[in-house]
Amino acid sequence: MKTPARISRAVAGGVALALGLTLSACGGGSSDSAGGGDSDKIHVLVYGDAANKVEKQLVATFNKTSKVKAVLDTIPGADYQQKLQTIISTPQAPDVFFNWGGGSIKPFVDADLLLPLDDFIKDDPALKSSFLPSVFDSASVNGKPYGVPMRGTQPVLLFNNKKVLADAGVTPPKTWDDLLGAVKALKAKGVTPIALGGGDQWPTLMWFEYLYDRVAGPEVFQKALGGDKSAWESAGSKKALGMIRKLVDAGAFGTNYDSVKFTDQGSPTLLASGKAGFELMGSWEYSTQQDSHPAFAKKDLGYSSFPTVAGGTGDAGNLVGNTNNFYSVMKKTKHPEAVAAFLKLQYSDEFVKAQLGIGNLPTTTNTEKFLGASASPAYSKYQFDLVKKAPSFQLSWDQAYPQSASTPMHQAVQQFFNGGLDTDGFIKAMQALPTA
Amino acid sequence: MTTTVTKAAVVAERRPAQRRTAGVGRPGFAWALPATAFFVLFAVVPLVLVAVLSFTSWNGLGAPRFAGLDNWTKLFDDPVMLNSLWLSVLITVLGVLVQTPLSILLGVWAAGRQRNRAILSAIYFVPLLLSATAVSVLWRTLLDPNFGVPSQAKWLFGDGNLLGMQSGAIGVLVFVGAWQFTPFHTLIYQGAARAIPQVLYQAAQIDGAGTVRQFFHITLPQLRNTMITSMILMVVGGLTTFDTVLILTQGGPGTDTTISAYYMYQKAFKSFDFGAGSAIALLLVVVATVISLVVVRVSGYDKMRSSVEGL
Repeated sequence: MKTPARISRAVAGGVALALGLTLSACGGGSSDSAGGGDSDKIHVLVYGDAANKVEKQLVATFNKTSKVKAVLDTIPGADYQQKLQTIISTPQAPDVFFNWGGGSIKPFVDADLLLPLDDFIKDDPALKSSFLPSVFDSASVNGKPYGVPMRGTQPVLLFNNKKVLADAGVTPPKTWDDLLGAVKALKAKGVTPIALGGGDQWPTLMWFEYLYDRVAGPEVFQKALGGDKSAWESAGSKKALGMIRKLVDAGAFGTNYDSVKFTDQGSPTLLASGKAGFELMGSWEYSTQQDSHPAFAKKDLGYSSFPTVAGGTGDAGNLVGNTNNFYSVMKKTKHPEAVAAFLKLQYSDEFVKAQLGIGNLPTTTNTEKFLGASASPAYSKYQFDLVKKAPSFQLSWDQAYPQSASTPMHQAVQQFFNGGLDTDGFIKAMQALPTA
Repeated sequence: MTTTVTKAAVVAERRPAQRRTAGVGRPGFAWALPATAFFVLFAVVPLVLVAVLSFTSWNGLGAPRFAGLDNWTKLFDDPVMLNSLWLSVLITVLGVLVQTPLSILLGVWAAGRQRNRAILSAIYFVPLLLSATAVSVLWRTLLDPNFGVPSQAKWLFGDGNLLGMQSGAIGVLVFVGAWQFTPFHTLIYQGAARAIPQVLYQAAQIDGAGTVRQFFHITLPQLRNTMITSMILMVVGGLTTFDTVLILTQGGPGTDTTISAYYMYQKAFKSFDFGAGSAIALLLVVVATVISLVVVRVSGYDKMRSSVEGL
């Protein structure tokens, strides 16, 4: 009696162990085949969202003529950066991948994973000259180009509700004093002057980016980013902070902005429903409104560039925002010629038309020819002119800094806004950020 | 003489009998092997790896670099970290204080056998079936200062800046946690209350005790063991709160609701500092274990003997 029982136990244990082993073997196998195991293909990894439509189309175009086939892999948006960082130093890494330029690729450059594009550009100068320089340069690291622009540019603009402004007798502000006057007039009318999604933190950061630029010029931030922490203590920095403080204390953002988010439609709805007069937001505000408040987007959504500041050294034409998204190339790619050919598509007429068709504004020099075909030609043209003429286009601070700085930066910005940090506290917090 | 002989005989006879009874129906150790293997593979091995990682500097690229005690010394100098431990404990304690009385009252009430109570208890249970993500999104929308409940009840909420200040944000986190998990604890108390022998209440009634007295002198003491079980679950749940913070406050405003579990996520997956993240994770394991042990010790749970032996 005893022996069979013991045998069955041993069998049960063995089965369990075998099961565990097969499961783990399965995992290894499947991820292998999904990655770079196939040698006659290049993998293109992109942020998974609605814009994939265009990327799919371009991959199909490329595959029609190329012997080496491109495969498009997508990662759902919110997880993109995390997933990318976990696979990029493994055999599953793609050949070409989507990124934000600047600080977002610096760790990869430091880890010697990326291919500098100098040789590609030598063979095909149009790979550089076909793009607006202010945009192309923001994917350079240590003076070498590491990215080719894809998708569209996203400058930050001061949006407004035309109807609310008209009711209060206000026009889009040209100068900082105009803005302060508008705040007063809108407050008297009982509306929140400026909608702000402070709960997301990055919309708050945009106010810092523009004011530092207008008051002290783009050089101060570039200095700080380069590791010169004294830039944060400069007179320009302190003046910009003082102006922000004054604007907040004047009630420009109401009192509950930190409970409002942009990402759950909170602040855009404030603007569209007439409960707020302005919102400082990336150019995607337009498509956001078009999506959820189409009537408002068509009739009452106004836009202007950030006001000038009297006595400030920054050029009034300077922009901040996301300059563009970029394709970077992995050093380990087995098919550099195929990758180079694929990158050429990023300044083709087909690319520009397809991007404009979904509301993106590409930054190639030939974009202008096709603006008439965009979802809103006037808006596209306005943006394109701004970007083209901008003496400087500052990449969002949280993208320009290394990833490890973004959380403490957002915290400091939010705390300075709601009074949790004073000027000195904010300066100290920014000086403590890692720059390399 | 005769007595000792019989005693020894009885003892000698009993021993094998006892051993036999103890072994009846009990599977051997091999039955625990699959579970043990899984536990080792998915709990012990990762824990050891995390411990090793906490002594390295690693951003997810290339190989981790040994960094000695760097992460640990930085951790204890980090005001955000120390504050996050305090916030974790605060949210846990508030959670227990809010949920325990509520779930005892509801559980005891629901233990009645009427049909309407059965239906109501079923409805109470619904929040537990929703994922924490759905619950957080739901409350975030309901509490929107401009378009949610606060805009309709200004006399209660003022400007509705609940999530924009520390006290409000912590209050919301505790409230949402209670909204989601009180039903579960209610269910535990309901089961326990139904197991209390009816004779106790009948005797109390004959002695002239009213409902309130019956509750305090029979029901509550009889629920003591259930209370400890339920509170330990609340403590463990409270210390590992994460998803509600991620969606409702993102640790903000500033660092005002950055609890340890969320700080670990920020360090590891937003700042890509896996060494520091691992150190926080390990610290959290230690703190949670110590607190659980203290609860067990103070409550006398370790001396409790189950009246029915397990399988």
